[in-house]
Amino acid sequence: MSMVWIASATATGSTSSVEFTSIPQTFTHLQIRVFAKTAGTGAFDSISMNINGGLGEARHDVYGTGSAVGSSNAATSFFIYIGGTAQFGVAIVDILDYTNTNKTKVSRSICGVDNNGSGLAALTSGLELNTTAITSLTFIAGVPNLAAGSRFDLYGITTSSVTGA
Amino acid sequence: MTIAMQPIYTQTVGSGGAASITFNNIPQTFTDLKLVVSARTSRNVGVTDDFGIRFNSQNTTYSVTAIQGSGTAASSFRVTGASTVSNIITNSNASTANAFSSADIYISNYTSANFKSVIIDAVQESNGTESYQRLIAGLWQNTSAITTISLIPDNSFLQHSTFTLYGITKG
Repeated sequence: MSMVWIASATATGSTSSVEFTSIPQTFTHLQIRVFAKTAGTGAFDSISMNINGGLGEARHDVYGTGSAVGSSNAATSFFIYIGGTAQFGVAIVDILDYTNTNKTKVSRSICGVDNNGSGLAALTSGLELNTTAITSLTFIAGVPNLAAGSRFDLYGITTSSVTGA
Repeated sequence: MTIAMQPIYTQTVGSGGAASITFNNIPQTFTDLKLVVSARTSRNVGVTDDFGIRFNSQNTTYSVTAIQGSGTAASSFRVTGASTVSNIITNSNASTANAFSSADIYISNYTSANFKSVIIDAVQESNGTESYQRLIAGLWQNTSAITTISLIPDNSFLQHSTFTLYGITKG
């Protein structure tokens, strides 16, 4: 078995963040599957992801909105785009080698939302300089809150002991 | 119970580095293949490097179409007549220390008699304005089943780079 469900977190509408703690150290990679929107007024919104309570050092993305394309950067935590006022958005977040203390922690996601006339699709990335193994992840919407029904599913992914070389 | 995603092979680069990575004797019992890559190369200029993937040691009839973000600008490009499914972004050794790229490479219907189609999302991160994200659609115009996969960087892969090949089985 290579992809194992670890935990899920569902927003109630009165919370601005969800957190996974005590993440098992027995896998090689982590994947988080997100179905979420905020209570915001825009066509889409964004939420950040903190690793081990840290703020992260850099994030970058490439995106399209149906009428424009762009790429952005910031010296802040990794983030994903989700739904805003209308539909729920979807994101798949991958964090490879999350227990490897020789590596910084790089997050990657494909994400977006379509509202039948507006929306956004994106490929995002983020950098946490600390090489410490990941034991917790926190997704933070801030203001407005995550909408009720927003769901975050955490999976652990294993690798093989055979090289095939 | 059918296991939908199963790790087949994993390779980790040792202290001597690796000029390439090859997976041989790929089982023909799955539907699709997925490669997960965390890599850094020995290139000492700029924050990025590239690698490509080659099937069955064949070095012709590859092409890609890609969208790219640089942290400040989005663009799109195409490569034809290539020797690999190319331009998969990775970290150079001049990028932020200990930062390794992250890529997901999906190869659909790898045993079929169709040409082989690939979809890739890859990112490299650096602690600065410039960092790259690429979404790549690739094609190998060959009807042979895929039995070997080689990952070939422009410069050598460095220690701690990891590569895992998964088999995906449909119901």
